Amino acid sequence: MDLNDEELIRRIVEDGDQRAYAQLVRRYQSQLRFSLRQLCDGDQGLADDMAQEAFIKAYKALPAFRGDARFSTWLYRIAYNLVMSHKRKNAPEVNQELVDRAQAEESVEESQQLGMARDLHSAMEELSEAQRQAVHLCMQRGFSHEEAASIMKLPLGTVKSHVNRARAKLQSLLQAWREEVVSG
Amino acid sequence: MDSFDQKLSKNDGMTDSALLGSDPEFDTWLSRQLQFDEPYLDDDGFCEQVMAKLPAPSKRSEKRATRMQYAAVVAASAIVAWQFPFGEVLNEAVRQSVSLYSLVGAGLLASLAAMTGGILAARR
Repeated sequence: MDLNDEELIRRIVEDGDQRAYAQLVRRYQSQLRFSLRQLCDGDQGLADDMAQEAFIKAYKALPAFRGDARFSTWLYRIAYNLVMSHKRKNAPEVNQELVDRAQAEESVEESQQLGMARDLHSAMEELSEAQRQAVHLCMQRGFSHEEAASIMKLPLGTVKSHVNRARAKLQSLLQAWREEVVSG
Repeated sequence: MDSFDQKLSKNDGMTDSALLGSDPEFDTWLSRQLQFDEPYLDDDGFCEQVMAKLPAPSKRSEKRATRMQYAAVVAASAIVAWQFPFGEVLNEAVRQSVSLYSLVGAGLLASLAAMTGGILAARR
């Protein structure tokens, strides 16, 4: 049976039901790992380690989760904090070999994708890190501006500005594709 | 024709008021493209790794869960006992000359089996 997040959280906190938490992990693992891969500059191993740590940290902190925000927002906030903290501590020690290999693998995959996906990827690369994250959270994950601001620990106005500027850039860069789709 | 970089520098020079003019159609299109472009990452043992590293659930919540399971089984047994036509069965047994002791014994055994089954099912 597919229970909603609130019911699963209630079972975990009140009954100590770890199977309920396994359901939550399965529900969000793909999205979170994909998001963190972007945040970790393609280092898949690091992203998965961070995602794993985030899920464990979230489980331990679950009794304190008051339900003010959605579970996914809360989970993303924990994960983003972990990655940012890791980046601050390990800034000079990026495993270049792993990054290069991941990027090479991505390049092979990209070459097999359609032109639009490739151009979209290139256009996203042209955004600043903060703009990319804001667009990812708001337009790909469907978080509200408020939720994205809470995850990124930025003022609401800053996030809105990032999204608007990124949107304007992407609109300009991808205009040709959009017109092609509209004109059929 | 403007180069890629030139286009970018032009966009960076946009005013906030110009940027705030949103285009819902473009937003929808962009969201769809971004989501379409995203692969689903297979679990590949990720969930098992997470679950293996979780601390054991607290004894308190385990005890509470067990108490609730026992309460549910007792309540279910009480309803069955309340609805069961003991009088009719007893009369029928007497009529058919079945000994009272064997009837009580059979009843007790059946109740024990039902309760054990119920408890095992609830714990599982």
